[in-house]
Order: sequence, then structure tokens, then C-alpha cells
Amino acid sequence: METKAKSKVLETFKEAAETIVNPELKKWIENGGKVMGYFCCYAPEEIITAADMVPMRVRATGSTGTDLSDAYLTSINCSFCRHALNMGLRGDYDFLEAVVWLNNCDHVRRIYDNWKRKVGTPLTHMMSLPKLTTDKQVGWWREELAILKGALERHLGVAITDGKLKQAIRIHNETRRLLRQLYGLRKKNNPPITGADALAVVVSSTAMPRAAFNEMLKELLHELKGAEGIKDSKPRLMLVSSIFDNPKDVMVMEDMGGLVVTDSMCFGTRTFWADVDEKSEDPLEAIARYYLQVKPSCPRIFGGFPQRSKFVQDMIQEFKVDGVIGLRMLFCDLWAGELFMLEKDLQKAGVPVLHMDREYLMGGTIGQVRTRVQAFVESIRR
Amino acid sequence: MSGRSMNDRCLHKLIQERDMLDMMVRTFTKTATGANLHYVPTKAFVDHHNEIIRRYLTGEPFITSYFCCAPEIYTAMNLPWNTFLTPAFTGAITPTFHDEIDASGKMFRGMDLCTIIRLAAYYVEEDLVPPPTAVVAMIHPCDGINVVHQVMARNEKWSKIPVFAADPPYWEDERSYQYYADELKKMVEFLEKHTGLTMDMKRLRQVIEESNKQIALWQEWNDLRRAVPCPHGGAMGLEMFGEATTVHCGMPEGTAWMQDVVTDAELLVRQGKGPVPKERIRLFWFDVLSLGLTLSLFPWLEQEWGAVVVMEMFGYSPYTQIDTSTEDSIFMGLAVRALHEVPMIRQARGVADLFLRDIERIVKDYKIDCVVYPGYMGHKDGSGSAGLMREKCRELGVPFLYIGMDLFDDRYTTLDQLKDKFSKFFQATGLG
Repeated sequence: METKAKSKVLETFKEAAETIVNPELKKWIENGGKVMGYFCCYAPEEIITAADMVPMRVRATGSTGTDLSDAYLTSINCSFCRHALNMGLRGDYDFLEAVVWLNNCDHVRRIYDNWKRKVGTPLTHMMSLPKLTTDKQVGWWREELAILKGALERHLGVAITDGKLKQAIRIHNETRRLLRQLYGLRKKNNPPITGADALAVVVSSTAMPRAAFNEMLKELLHELKGAEGIKDSKPRLMLVSSIFDNPKDVMVMEDMGGLVVTDSMCFGTRTFWADVDEKSEDPLEAIARYYLQVKPSCPRIFGGFPQRSKFVQDMIQEFKVDGVIGLRMLFCDLWAGELFMLEKDLQKAGVPVLHMDREYLMGGTIGQVRTRVQAFVESIRR
Repeated sequence: MSGRSMNDRCLHKLIQERDMLDMMVRTFTKTATGANLHYVPTKAFVDHHNEIIRRYLTGEPFITSYFCCAPEIYTAMNLPWNTFLTPAFTGAITPTFHDEIDASGKMFRGMDLCTIIRLAAYYVEEDLVPPPTAVVAMIHPCDGINVVHQVMARNEKWSKIPVFAADPPYWEDERSYQYYADELKKMVEFLEKHTGLTMDMKRLRQVIEESNKQIALWQEWNDLRRAVPCPHGGAMGLEMFGEATTVHCGMPEGTAWMQDVVTDAELLVRQGKGPVPKERIRLFWFDVLSLGLTLSLFPWLEQEWGAVVVMEMFGYSPYTQIDTSTEDSIFMGLAVRALHEVPMIRQARGVADLFLRDIERIVKDYKIDCVVYPGYMGHKDGSGSAGLMREKCRELGVPFLYIGMDLFDDRYTTLDQLKDKFSKFFQATGLG
């Protein structure tokens, strides 16, 4: 299954998703631009952009082993963390000027502890992200944002003014709006883009200078609007997952007969289904509120499951989804609980669900993935 | 309460556990100095179970909560609390434990989710714990505990029970403590609203003053553990922790027992006696303990290798005295205690430096010969610090053993495998 439109810009996005330093990012770095890595979609990209850096979500794309990180992490730490730290230790992320972490999960927060000691990134910064979402927590998170802003200002010798923050908010909101437009096309009976290619676009949105990305995505949207749709695209599938960033893994699933039309993922809708308030007088407060109260939450936010379940079920309706594939990284406690609960809700709603545990690199288990997805797709067709 | 009876399914496990503990109480023998130190804490658990059963039947309030959620407040409000994690710690003495572990794995479609969390969720889903009046949830130091409370809140029977969770900051500074102190004040409002009980500040002050005495005794006892040979083995640390932070928290009964333990330890130090005739290895066990381990592995370590658990995560007491002069100072003190002093939360909730600082302090203070990090399969954050712990130990010149085990499921790494690992470790490092 493939996207029918022959698009040069789509090829660029696909290439970007397969590499760490894509051509646009390389150009930025060669022109003296700085890049700041982050490990979770709760990281305030807007502040990084306002500091004139490119925010880049750290992936472990292209990793081939964990020989260096195994000295620090253990076999019960998730494979994404082991691969990502390994790449840090190998020097693959030496181009980063700074990296920011949050206490988002037990695995990722330990990458911070090891990275700051063992990888020579000039600035490493940890943030305390609340687990609740009342106004009190928004206040706390705003303070954490201000601390990050101060750290960047001191490190880079720049002033991150309210004006710059507001401009950054506009740029990132535009990315979000454009991505929503892309997903809007996937609601069609015959979507013009595969799930694998859509994932490549979203991954690219976290790894390129945003203004350039926005222009490229506009071009793609223009091409896709008149493009031929994918016929015979039944059943329509939705992915629910934590980090899942390899379009080739989606391709394997789609080759089994289903078409992925939407998701609830942190390389997906959870990062762009809502906007930061552009009218707020206090941009830091607007950013804080967006991350805690506005954007769809992830399982580490306590008490947010009913909203998360509703978000998934709304997506199912909106995108006419026939079945849900829930993916969990092995050793992830947060997603074990989330999928346990979600499966119950979806079963009650009569939505077929496939729960798959996975490693970050699915290559070794691709045969099993094919078999299970194929059986799932066939069971939906029946 | 109408409709509730001793035959209710949700009481079966509690009754089974109470009966097993009660049987243990009757088997305890006196120590070398003539004291029967295990009697009071175990009997307290039996009495506590009875009280929860009674309250369930009569409808009087009790809550589900934890040792790290300022239990001094519960004592002051005369509000008993139960935790659905206890059965995992005492599981080794219940006959259905392995079946429950397997069933919980099936429920979550896998065994890599922390066993204690899996079990707790399973007990709720299977109606094996009595539903409380209210829940004060713990949402740190790990992902699992956050998960179990979300699963619990979705359960049909438990979904109607009011839940409070204090939001835990990641740092250890004045700003974080103040933030958490405010959370604890909100917790009191929540409890008053949902249990019908009221908080009397005078009573809370009394409880904290009693708790301060307990903390002082605990520290005194820990100071005595620096002696060579160490007067008591590791299991006693768990009991000290239990008395000071759970069933007898801030109560004179607990203080009296702790005084007895200190007296016993003093006598043993004067006599130059420890749990084994010849102490050869002083071991620091840097994790949780379960009853199963204290009954199986620890006696073997003592008898086979003369290896005494001189310090363990839950026995360590880096507590400070709480200033009871004002309401604000009390809540601030409780916040510091809850965030930065109670075991496991202290180390696991924040940056890895907290693990490393404790290793350094304890190795130096307690003349430790080796550090054991069990690598409990549920403690993913701790395992993510294992390499750094190893480096710290290398720097301190003490051997470090990472095991990789399940503290509760003795089939994950069997007792024989553990014995083999320890034997090889002691031989390889020249300690044996």
C-alpha cells in the first residue's frame, strides 16, 4: 500500500524520518544554528524556538545496539531508552547544544542522570512536570518554564522576550494546524496518504526548523488535496501508543491489508490536536496551560484516563475507525495500565482491539507483527 | 453496616492474612537477651487487620493510603488506613500467592509490570480488598503506583470512592516542600469532608511529638548498628520502619517497643553479640524487603556466610525532627518527611544523585563490606541508576552486586539461584 501522489516533499519527509540529522537540519547547523534535544512531547518546544534553536525530539532511529548503554541501564529498562542513551554515548547526538528532560517516566528520567554525566552536551536541563492538572499545577509548571527560559538565556546569552515567545507560539500553532489539516484528509473514505507516510510527516515536524517545515507541509497539503485516494482501504485502523516513530513499522502493518487513518500517539495527534492560546498576555502562562490542561494527556497524568479514553473514542467516530492497535513498549508500566483500561472501554463500545507489546526496534519481531496484524485485520473483515 | 458480613469476598484475603500473622505471633521466640521483639509489630498488624474488618462491617471510616502520605495526620484523626500493597509483602505466608501472581499477569497480558502493582490492581479487580471510605493515592515515586490508582479509579466498585492525590514535585528545595505542604493541607480538607472526622491541631502536635521521639529512637538504634558485630539483622529494620510509619505511627505503644529494641541492641553491643556467632560480611541491601526474603535468604546469608544485613533501604532513617511550634512548621515538616525522608520515596522519586548520596553515607557510616542492589523487576528507575551505583561503589572501594530479581515472586530468581549468585559474588570479591 502506498500514497498515490508522487511528491518530492513527501520523499523529503520520509528521508527525514529515517535519519537523525535530515538535510534541513544539517543546513541549519551548517549555518551556525543550534539544536536542542528533548525526550517527551511535554517539553515546551515554543521556548526552545524562542531561544532561536531548533527543538528536536530525540529518537533512536538507526540504532543498531545497546553495547555502551548496557553498562548503565539494565534489561528491564525500555529499549527506546537503551538505544537512545547508546546513541548519546556513541556521539551521535554531539551536534546538540542542549537537551531537556522531564520526569515523565521512570525510564526516561534516568537517561537524564546518565546522559548529564556521560555525554558531553553543553547544557542538560531537567524539569519537574506535575502529575495533576489543576490551576495550582499550571502555576508550578509556569515556574518550571521560567527556570528553563532563564537557563537558556544564561547559556546562550540571549534574551527570550515575550515577543519572541508569542512569535514561537504562532509558528508552533501553525505546525499544529497544518498537521490537523493533513489528518483531516485522512478522514476521507479514500485517504490520499498512508499511515506510514503520515507518520513520516509528524516525525519530521519534530526534527526540522519549524518555519521551513511549515512551508514544506503546506506544499504537501496542496499536492494531496487533489490527489487520488487509496482505494480498498478497509479496515481503517487507529494506533494508540507511546513513542512509535518508525514509518516502516506502520508500513508492515498496512501491508497486511488495513490502513492506519489516525492515532493517539506522542508522535501523533496528542501533540497537535489543540493550540496554545495566542491571545494571552502572558505567553509562559499560555504555554503552561496548554501542556497541562489543553493538549490531550498521556498516561503519566493522574486522573486523566476518562478524557484520554474519550479522546480515543471520539477519534474512532471522527475517522470511522474499524479497529484499534494498542502498542506498548516492553517494561512500560504506564502503558500497561493504560491499555488494560482502554481495552475494557473499547470492548464495551464494541471496537475491536489488538494489544501488542513491542521493542523499540521491531525488526526482530516483524514476523510476529505481520501474523498478529493479519489475523486482526481478517477478524475485523469477518 | 447493613448487607455487609464476614463472608464478603473482599474480606477473605484480609482474614486469611490476619490468621497467618496471628499464627506467626504465637511462634515467636525470645532473642538472646530475653526480649520478644517481633511480637509487638506483628501483633499490631493482627489488631490492625481486625480493626479494618470491624470498620468495614460497621461502616465506620477507614481509608486506603500509604506510609509516605503523612500518616501522622491519620493517627491524629483516629483514622485507620489500609494499603492494598500489604498482601504482596506478606504473600510468602499465604498459600494462594503464586496463583494470584499468575492471574495478575494474565490480567495485564504480561509479567513485566511491577508484581506488587499487578497484584494490587488484581486484588481490586477481583474484589479481594475491602473498599474504603476514601483513598489517599500515592502517585510517586514510580510509574506503577500511578497506574494502579488509575486502574482502581476505573473499577466499577471503586469508582464511586473519593480519591485524593497530592502532586509530588521532583525537587528537594524550599519551593517544593512549600508546594507539598499546601497539598497536605488540602488532604486534610479532603479527609474531613469525606470521613466526617475533624482534625484537631493540638492532637496533631501531640502525635508529631510522639513521632519525633520514635524517629530519635530509630536513629539511636541505627547508630548502634554501626557496631561490629551489628546487634540485629536486617529484618528488624523493616519492623522499625513499620512501627514508626504505619500501625503505631505517632503512638506511645510504638515508642515503647522501639525503646525496647534500642535497649536490646545496647545490651548486645555491650556483650559483643550479633545475630550470628561470627559476623564476617557487613552487607547493605539497597531496596525493599519482603517477608519471604527475611524468612529465607537472610537467615541463609547469616548462617552460610556470616553475612549480616547491617543496613537496608527501609531501615535507614535520615529523618529530621519536625518543629511543632506552628501549624505551618508542622505541615512543612510533614512535607519534608513525606518527600525527602521516607524510604524508597526519598531515593526513587528524584534524580539518581539521591541513590548515590545514600550509598556513600551508609557505606562510610556502617562499615559496609558490599552493596547489593537487588534490581527488583518493578523498580525500573532504580535499575536505570544501576551503572551509576556501581561506579559509586567502585569509587568507595566496596564490591557491588546487581542481582535482577522479583522481591515477591520467588520463581523469577529462585532461592537457589540467589544463593548461587551470592556465593559466587562473595568468592569472587574475596569476602567469602
